[in-house]
Amino acid sequence: MPKASSSKKQRSGARGKSGGRKNPSVAKPVAILAAVVAVALGAAFYLQRRADDKAAPAPAPSAHNTHSLISPQGWSKGNSLAKAVLVEFVDFQCGACAAASSRVANIARKHGSRLKIVFKHHPMQRAHGNAMIAARAAEAAGLQYRFWEMHDLLLQRQHEWAKVPDAQTLFLRYAAELRLNLARFRRDLWAKEVGDKIYRDIMEGQMAQVRSVPAFFLNGKPIPNSRDEFEFEQRIVDGIRSLQ
Amino acid sequence: MSGNPWSIRVMVLAGFAGMVDSGYVGFHSLTGLLIPCGPAGGCDQVLNSPYSHLGGVSIAWFGFAFYLAVTAAGIFGLSGFRQVFRFSLIASLAAFLATLYLLYLQAFVLQAFCDYCLLSALLVFVILGAHLALRPWNRTPESA
Repeated sequence: MPKASSSKKQRSGARGKSGGRKNPSVAKPVAILAAVVAVALGAAFYLQRRADDKAAPAPAPSAHNTHSLISPQGWSKGNSLAKAVLVEFVDFQCGACAAASSRVANIARKHGSRLKIVFKHHPMQRAHGNAMIAARAAEAAGLQYRFWEMHDLLLQRQHEWAKVPDAQTLFLRYAAELRLNLARFRRDLWAKEVGDKIYRDIMEGQMAQVRSVPAFFLNGKPIPNSRDEFEFEQRIVDGIRSLQ
Repeated sequence: MSGNPWSIRVMVLAGFAGMVDSGYVGFHSLTGLLIPCGPAGGCDQVLNSPYSHLGGVSIAWFGFAFYLAVTAAGIFGLSGFRQVFRFSLIASLAAFLATLYLLYLQAFVLQAFCDYCLLSALLVFVILGAHLALRPWNRTPESA
């Protein structure tokens, strides 16, 4: 008890001595904090913008000047020697991409002899948290010559993995279904070269001003997507004709 | 709490650096563009992994909130509101545990490291160290 009362006395003494400091103004630290946060956010934003400018030094092209920017390299199907090259930018987690995949498969079946279809990744990471790992899974399967099989599986079962926190476990199951070497698949999933390949596609898409997915380009010319299968096919057929 | 203004200044500086670091990663996550990576080299693997977002929000923004809280605690502490360090100590301990988990994910699950995350981990350790030096749980007459 005596100890406690002496402590109380000490505290009240301290209050008396530093009475001016006990009721400090809130306005000053709030103003300083606001300034510090503004400077920090400004610095972060400036650094981020500067890094983006360095990453994309070329000026943005017009929508009709994308031919030279979109390479015909990538996973392809159809006639690899065809004059007409349809490039598709796809995000595996996008519902419209899953819906469009059957239209593209149909076009490949009907017009594959006159057309080369090239796949490019364009994961919209801001909206789709599992899009990047799905792209990686497709590429990792591709390293074992099963890209298109994994591509189809990912789009068909999009509802299964799109919102799960650990998509990797599901993708390992898909890899097992495709009888891939699981140890290699797991290693390739996070391989630097796989990430680099996807980012090259993303950069190509950004240069070609891809703003939404799926995006289609026939020999560099943008082809608007359409939910109507016949209309979409007709646009492709018209494009192929104009090139012949 | 024994004065130790140097540790409060360290806390403010680390909090400021943390806000710039996490803000930079956070802004990048909004654009979805390639983030430049330094010697660690695994930024894209780490920052695009499923662990990089919580409820659709980049964890960089949670880090930003923590650094903002620490900077606020430091600035208010320098202005005489020393009791705020008790709360920022709890936040720092939580951030320390979260950092250990994120380091574990980078080392053993993703097997890739990101420079910005390593810098953030270092800043969390510095901030916790500054709190431990302040001993906010120890109510001494000068600080009460």
